[in-house]
Amino acid sequence: MASSAAATAQPLDRTRARRRAAWRRRRLVLLLMAPWLIGFSAFFGYPLVMSVYLSFTHYDLLSSPKWIGTANYRYLFTQDPQVGEAVKNTLWIIAVMVPLQVVFAFGVALMLARARRGVGFFRTIFYLPALAPPVAATLAFVYILNPATGPVNVLLKHLGIDGPLWFQSPSWSKPSLVLLGLWGVGNIMIIFLAAILDVPRHLYESAELDGAGPLQRLRWVTLPTISPVILFSVVIGVIAGLQYFTQAYVAANVASGQASQAGDQTVNNLGYPEASTLFYPVELYQHGFRYFNMGYASAMSVLLLVVAFTITVLIIRNSRRWVHYVGAAK
Amino acid sequence: MSTASVPVPTALTRRKPPASVRRRRFLMAVANHSMLIVAAVVFLAPFGFIALTALMTNGQALSSHLWPNPFRWQNFVDVFHQAPIFRWALNTMIYACLATLGVVVSSIPVAYALSRIRWRGRNLAFGLVLIALMLPPVVSVVPLYVMWAKLGLVGGLGPLIIPNWFGDAFSIFLLRQFFMTIPEEYLDAARVDGCGELRILATVVLRLAKPAIAAVALFSFLYTFNDFFLPLLYTRENPSRWVLQIGLSEFRSLHQVQWNLTMAATLLVMAPVIIVFFLAQKAFVEGVTLTGVKG
Amino acid sequence: MRRVGIGLLVALVLGAALVAATARNSATAGTSGAKVDNITIWVGWSAAELKAFKGVVAEYDSKHSDVTVKVVGGINDDKITAAIRSGKVPDVVSSFTSANVGSYCNSGAWIDLKPFLSKDKIDVNMFPKTSQYYTQYKGKRCALPLLADVYGFYYNKAMFKAAGLTSPPKTMSQLTSYAKKLTKKNSDGSIKVAGYNPFLGFYAGNAPDLSAYAPLFGAKYVDGSGKSVISKDPAWSKMLTWQKSLVDWYGYKKLQKFNAGAADEFSASHAFEIGKLAMMIDGEWRVAFIGREHPSLDYGTAPAPVDDAHPELYGAGYVNGTIIGIPKGVKHKDQAWALVKYLTTDSHALAIFSNGVRNVPTTKASLTSPDIKPDAHFKTFLKIFANPKSTTTPITAAGNAYGSLIQAFAVKWQAGHAGDLAKGLQKLDKQIDAQLKQAQAGGVP
Repeated sequence: MASSAAATAQPLDRTRARRRAAWRRRRLVLLLMAPWLIGFSAFFGYPLVMSVYLSFTHYDLLSSPKWIGTANYRYLFTQDPQVGEAVKNTLWIIAVMVPLQVVFAFGVALMLARARRGVGFFRTIFYLPALAPPVAATLAFVYILNPATGPVNVLLKHLGIDGPLWFQSPSWSKPSLVLLGLWGVGNIMIIFLAAILDVPRHLYESAELDGAGPLQRLRWVTLPTISPVILFSVVIGVIAGLQYFTQAYVAANVASGQASQAGDQTVNNLGYPEASTLFYPVELYQHGFRYFNMGYASAMSVLLLVVAFTITVLIIRNSRRWVHYVGAAK
Repeated sequence: MSTASVPVPTALTRRKPPASVRRRRFLMAVANHSMLIVAAVVFLAPFGFIALTALMTNGQALSSHLWPNPFRWQNFVDVFHQAPIFRWALNTMIYACLATLGVVVSSIPVAYALSRIRWRGRNLAFGLVLIALMLPPVVSVVPLYVMWAKLGLVGGLGPLIIPNWFGDAFSIFLLRQFFMTIPEEYLDAARVDGCGELRILATVVLRLAKPAIAAVALFSFLYTFNDFFLPLLYTRENPSRWVLQIGLSEFRSLHQVQWNLTMAATLLVMAPVIIVFFLAQKAFVEGVTLTGVKG
Repeated sequence: MRRVGIGLLVALVLGAALVAATARNSATAGTSGAKVDNITIWVGWSAAELKAFKGVVAEYDSKHSDVTVKVVGGINDDKITAAIRSGKVPDVVSSFTSANVGSYCNSGAWIDLKPFLSKDKIDVNMFPKTSQYYTQYKGKRCALPLLADVYGFYYNKAMFKAAGLTSPPKTMSQLTSYAKKLTKKNSDGSIKVAGYNPFLGFYAGNAPDLSAYAPLFGAKYVDGSGKSVISKDPAWSKMLTWQKSLVDWYGYKKLQKFNAGAADEFSASHAFEIGKLAMMIDGEWRVAFIGREHPSLDYGTAPAPVDDAHPELYGAGYVNGTIIGIPKGVKHKDQAWALVKYLTTDSHALAIFSNGVRNVPTTKASLTSPDIKPDAHFKTFLKIFANPKSTTTPITAAGNAYGSLIQAFAVKWQAGHAGDLAKGLQKLDKQIDAQLKQAQAGGVP
């Protein structure tokens, strides 16, 4: 009898011990995750919910929010004269800058991968511009691309070419921003370089044996192997494009050449010239923090969230067709 | 089957490829190298123009002359007289250092919990971290501003620094990926020695994850140093709390676009990051690689 | 245990640093230690003009020992709205954009000054009619005028003499022909000296919301019921057609390059001041700038030329001004009001300040004050200010937002991207009406 009592006591002890251990683990996890839990609710969950709520109100921070139903959304989709431009501009910058950046970064990385000597030196040079603060880089580019006195147009004039108006022209301002973006591809380029160097040599060798030339090796060995990195850069690029703000803001202010003092400050520079640099986040900022239509700005941010989510899901879904995860499906 | 009789080559000797192939390869290498040089010149050119303009007089900066004559080193001193650069730098340092510290301190435990402890809901939590990563911060800007305004903190660096002490999605992600590569044996050995989980984290994991932590710290510092949007939102009407980026963007309008001084200021603002990069090159490149390849 | 101690110490240090970082050591009303109160005033002026303003404030300080006034310059309306919304406001604010008074009064961002005015028995008729108009909205007076701006015509007398011209142009067609005569080109076709630069966005006289040109063509923005009539009033299409034809004569791209190479408007290398521009429409403050930076410049001032069909408008010009008020949430209201009252009603203060920045003083009494330093150039602007046909832009609940809409259209128009003028103006009217409607209802933007 004693043994059976002891026998039943032991499993009970073990369960209790296990339960205590589990409880301790849960407490530990809670402790470790605490900062993130608070942060997530306060700085992610709460703003999301509040954004949706505020989007149905009129709120200017001076008095309490006033419920106006879907009026904000109606204005956003049908009457706002500038939102159309903002959406078009943002889509343009995503459709143009992301592919160009990926291709350019890949090209430079490829050159670096092929080089025998001075790789570290060149790699540093290509990476440096990516370190430059966006504000500083934008200022520099607006100066360099000054249509009359900037070095680029002066050099072009020596070559006999009448340089474009760059940041002063509505058709050249976004390409100028793209140039600025290409200058800073260092981050993506480094990732591509590492990925290219990681491609197993034996894949190249077997392709060579099969008679594949360099271009074919690129198409059938290199690209598929680094396709996860390509996907990564595309997703990062799209997310960055959806929140493109700093460069557009600084460029518009500087290029329009307005000093913020004396004289009649009736002109609004954002989007200069002719709303060509008015991107969605810039417009959102304008409505929320210049005019303080916080309800309307919230409606804009909800729309942005939906679009961002949709585009990201679409890209990732589509990626299953062309991305190969090495070692996954063998 | 006796293998001894078959002559086994002891070393694989590569035959030298024929001369024509070698020549073609050489030409291609030269072509590649020249393209690299051209690309390097193009990449460095803007820096060159900035530096040259920073040494010009104001009149020259406004003209189409490309070479300063004379070299006005005085500009770098004038910049400090024209604008409170030191104050801006101090504000930037406060923001960047405190935020980076916060990111590191708060993200490590979270990443550890998400990678090395099994618990229910772990995958859900990680999924939420990923979703937070994809969220454009512009989306949450309005309610957050309202919240900080109600707390009376708008105008200071608080709204910029405080959220970083509650975990940063990108850093958590990076650290988690890295922690997952730590062999369990190290941790088991420590457990056998009687260490509690926290102790393991503090001693074993931290030491092993130094490169990843360095990368996270570097990225945080770089990001907050370069940050323009958040300081614009929260400190724009309080010049005593401006950071370097805000000051630089307003520099041109404070002083009527003296481009030579503006370019000198631009150089000064770019310098710290580039210096830090050269000092910590390895960590930088490793960190960038970590994000892309392991992500 | 030691680790815990160190950890605690680190946490304390960090906490202190965090608190220090979040504390705003900025311009807000300080705690009233003993009897001297600190009040802060935000103004838009900077550099030399700010110095002149500080001089006036210093006089106030010496007369009032119970307050010390801190002056912050370089402020624009963005910063004012941001400060009011975030709750950290200075005691007195002033803005160059009088057109925003509508939104300030309507939203309550600037407090109603009527109680203070009646308490101190101040009659608003001491201010000229136009200045009264742009400092209130629908009866709510939330601002007072602090020096006004008047736009007139500047012309380079030396260049006129060299071209055989004797007097400034009085009509738009004269302006056009003079401009073409006075323009000089470089060998590569780029503009060396521009006779008159009509490019919208180039310097203040070409404000893209067309505010400086509207009084010269007699153009009306809204009708009696407050509806936008830009497409209905023929003056607007006349104005825009004239402007674009002159831009096209110069060449749009060439003008852009000229503008890009021109110095900043408030630098000493202003295009007119260094002889790259023969004629321009600009505000009266330019007189002080020229006097400071290029006193030897041989120039003249006159009222701006007007539409050929409306010679009776000659002598009028665009008027607006600096407005000053007390934002919502200020604690030291009485001291703030005392400063406002002094700055806006004291003839001596206004005259001294006007001398310093050469803006037009805004009380009827100060206009004739003996403290004003006589200046032949400046007198032209005083006359334009007094002209009954001089107007300002309409005050709306949306503040200056309609100006942005006009600007967006005008800028596109001059580039040739706006298509049919009549249709474009009709669309513009609809947009402005929609915007005004929502701002008044307190609904969507």
